[in-house]
Amino acid sequence: MEIFETEVAVIGGGMTGVGVLRDLALRGVNAVLIEQFDLGHGTSTRNHGLLHSGGRYAVKDKEAAVESYQENLILKKTVPGSIEETGGLFVKVPDDPDDYVEKWVNACNTIGIPIEEVPLQIAFAEEPYLNRKAEVVYRIPDGAVDPFTMLVDVTADAVEKGARVLTYHEVTHIETTNAQVSYITVKDRYTGEEKQIHTKLVVNAAGPWSANIAKLANVPMKIINNKGMLTVLNNRINKQVINRLRMPGDADIFVPAHNVTIFGTTGINVEHPDDTSLQREEFEHMIMKGKDLIPTLPQIRMIRAFSGSRPLFQETESSDASGRNVTRGMALLDHEQRDGLKGFITITSGKLTTFRYMAEKTVDLVCEKLGITSNCQTAEVAVPHREAKQALENINLTPVAKKKLFSWAGVNASSIKANLLKDNSIVCECESVTWAEIESALPEKGQFNLGDIRRRTRLGMGPCQGTFCYRRAAAMAVEKGVATSDEAEIALQNGVEKRSKGMRVIATGSANKQLELMDGINYVSLGMKKGGETYV
Amino acid sequence: MLYQPSLEASYDQCLKCHACTVNCPISSVSTEFGGPKQLGPELQRMTQNQGILDDASIELCTLCGTCDRTCPENIHVSSLTAYLKETHAEEVGTKFRDIVLSKAEWVGKLASTFAPVTNATMKLKPARKVMEWIMEIPAERNFPEYRFNNFKRKYKIKESTTERKVAYFAGCYATYNAPDVADSFVKVMEYNGIEVAVPKQNCCGVPMFANGQMKAGKKNAQSNIDSFLSYVDQGYDVVMTCSSCTLAMKKEYPGYMQTEEAQRLAENVYDADEYLRILYEKGELNDSLSALNDKAAYYAPCHMKGQGIGNPAMDMLELIPGYQIEDMAAGCCGQCGTFGFKKEKYSYSMALGDTMVDSKSMAESDYVVTECGMCKNQFDQLTDKEVRHPIQVLRQSYELN
Ligand SMILES: Cc1cc2nc3c(=O)[nH]c(=O)nc-3n(C[C@H](O)[C@H](O)[C@H](O)COP(=O)(O)OP(=O)(O)OC[C@H]3O[C@@H](n4cnc5c(N)ncnc54)[C@H](O)[C@@H]3O)c2cc1C
Ligand code: SF4
Ligand code: SF4
Repeated sequence: MEIFETEVAVIGGGMTGVGVLRDLALRGVNAVLIEQFDLGHGTSTRNHGLLHSGGRYAVKDKEAAVESYQENLILKKTVPGSIEETGGLFVKVPDDPDDYVEKWVNACNTIGIPIEEVPLQIAFAEEPYLNRKAEVVYRIPDGAVDPFTMLVDVTADAVEKGARVLTYHEVTHIETTNAQVSYITVKDRYTGEEKQIHTKLVVNAAGPWSANIAKLANVPMKIINNKGMLTVLNNRINKQVINRLRMPGDADIFVPAHNVTIFGTTGINVEHPDDTSLQREEFEHMIMKGKDLIPTLPQIRMIRAFSGSRPLFQETESSDASGRNVTRGMALLDHEQRDGLKGFITITSGKLTTFRYMAEKTVDLVCEKLGITSNCQTAEVAVPHREAKQALENINLTPVAKKKLFSWAGVNASSIKANLLKDNSIVCECESVTWAEIESALPEKGQFNLGDIRRRTRLGMGPCQGTFCYRRAAAMAVEKGVATSDEAEIALQNGVEKRSKGMRVIATGSANKQLELMDGINYVSLGMKKGGETYV
Repeated sequence: MLYQPSLEASYDQCLKCHACTVNCPISSVSTEFGGPKQLGPELQRMTQNQGILDDASIELCTLCGTCDRTCPENIHVSSLTAYLKETHAEEVGTKFRDIVLSKAEWVGKLASTFAPVTNATMKLKPARKVMEWIMEIPAERNFPEYRFNNFKRKYKIKESTTERKVAYFAGCYATYNAPDVADSFVKVMEYNGIEVAVPKQNCCGVPMFANGQMKAGKKNAQSNIDSFLSYVDQGYDVVMTCSSCTLAMKKEYPGYMQTEEAQRLAENVYDADEYLRILYEKGELNDSLSALNDKAAYYAPCHMKGQGIGNPAMDMLELIPGYQIEDMAAGCCGQCGTFGFKKEKYSYSMALGDTMVDSKSMAESDYVVTECGMCKNQFDQLTDKEVRHPIQVLRQSYELN
């Protein structure tokens, strides 16, 4: 068994965990992050991707609103490659209470969130899909954040600064000696091999799984997992974020994300963190509600649905039935103080938007515990931008694929360029993904996995959901010696099944035809087996 | 009537099945061309609410409409490519040559005024070399001849006095290059007791659309809609002999203009043989057709296939006693309107012509029958077969009586 040492072990490769890892790396603290699957297996890739500006929380939760607005400004500067400064609208439609508008305007003004009333005609011209019966529209500095790229970039920067990352490793055991964490055991999902990581301090950033991790350390903890559903519209129907100007509720946000719009969401408490099930009734409920903002919503084609759980920390055992009234502000638990266990800290709850702030507070506490004096730098030091226009201006590629790479390639520009010279074929046409990008996103070791590639390149994220490109990518991987044909076959089966799960629940109209085409090609024409072997 | 999806709703329905790209004639000869799926629904989706994007390879699209007719979701793909042509033309400016080629009517008027001179010049090697040099029109390229005695000059009837009333849209080709086709149409209608009226008309706009001149093309479309709709309102049927003009009125006008007027006109437009076939089905056709012992090969132009009305030319010609006609079942001819006149597209144009040249039924025929003047130009270029319009053959059969 491999045994190694580190100052800090961070559990969980979601945005919170990788934020902590980068903060530690920037402060020169030696750290390892352990993630049970790929980065973003949990809530961090299962959310709306809204870079909040505080508007949603202004009335109900002032503290969360202030944090959001501050972080909104900081992230625009420090993770610019993953944020589109779309701006956002708050829209009041008939039947939304009138008095909320005044409360909201006052709250935003008090907090200092810059808002501006937009004449209705201008709002309709900007957003043609918006309900023409809208009564009041305000502009607010919301943004759209790509959680996939943000995760990858923040992690890459941490690694660049000396941190270590183990993905597809599950934490299976936490050893404590004399009320102090001494080591953790992790298990490689591919090989089954175990490793022992000796450490002075463990940061539990396992999101919806934080209570499970706490249990490994014999610490009592209650997390409510509040599952929300989101759907991906076939097109980008709006230029800017559209929110509903009322008390936050279900199905009241539309966020533009590259070529699509993400719409949602709901909130249902579930028992297990792994529960990402999707219900048809929930989807229909969302569409009915969403119509208030976008009346043509029922006619708009969807690509898929997905769900994720908000990890909502509860200090007492008494459970809140709705899950909505628990603070979304962060929960930072010093288990030495709380439970008498040294070397164990939990950071949970919060939001994607506030991940950096959560990390800052966590690492402040870590440093205090380890007796390190070092200031947080993440509010100023930016991760490398993804812009790459200059580097790739002269490549031979279709204009639309080029356009994507100009705002995508970033630090990988030179490796992608070199790969393009060898092979400039487009693998995924819906999202214009080249083989060159796939090649530079492949891990140095580990198994060929289409999901991992998807999260890094957008392969298979378009309307056909991998019907054509997953197969093409798998075939090319074999042809180019990147994967064995057995590996490619398993990757394909897994990939296709995951894609079709999200399609099935929304399948009506064109989306249903698309799914039938996918099933027909895979299971009938090409005789692929259903329920193939899963390797993780 | 053709299914007319709205521009916006339609590209959303793309299932990525690739049928359009597999069948696109240009995609079959060029790897440079993005293809209908990429340059149609995909590009739309990837640019919606994100600003426009120019793709120079759109120049290769001939607007043949094969993509529209192969799409299982009935997406008007070629409307999307036509608009992309406009974007491209606006982005890079239109070549002087393409402006000239897009103005078929203006060229027609001018050239037919100086017809003997024009035709002689077009056959002169040195003059063609100059054209190749300045205009990038290949010297080897065959050019349709222009007639001084054009149809517009000769035929002035603007109102029909018969019970069935036909408003004839002749199109630039039958007006300036092949007035005999227009004459034959008038005669065939006469044999059927119909007096033909020729309303005020402009070029249908197809060459403009094909060269990215969307605004100019739409202007022509609107003036034709206004002119012909006033006839429709008086009970006229609009009948045409050029397959491209016909398809434009049936499909492109409603698709590009998105107006109720365009739609209403489209519902009253007929291809000449389609119209005769209706007369036949209603028992109104003059069936005193004399025997012709010819053996012909029929070539269906893309824009004929695009109308989705079967094969009315063969249906009609088969009524002629003794007449033998076989469908060549060939692909796109490669002339593709103004496309084949362009130097940089000449090699594609020639490669495309292959399926046509290799046709067995053509080899065994006395002559070729087709509706399209541009396809005829390609036959003239690549083969030594004579080419006739079906309406000319029908006229011959009537006249033998
Ligand atoms: C529907 C929905 C919409 C949302 N929308 C927004 C939004 O628009 N804007 C916004 O700012 N926030 C939004 N949020 C909130 C935000 O997504 C979450 O707060 C945030 O992603 C939580 O990140 P995390 O890193 O704490 O948890 P996670 O991303 O879940 O990370 C935890 C990680 O721990 C790993 N792990 C678990 N157990 C183990 C183990 N034993 N060993 C190793 N690794 C383990 C998991 O695999 C997982 O990857 C939304 C949340 C939901 C549910
Ligand atoms: S119109 Fe013809 S050339 Fe243009 S994309 Fe469609 S099939 Fe291809
Ligand atoms: S044929 Fe129609 S549905 Fe199929 S790819 Fe082309 S546009 Fe899409």
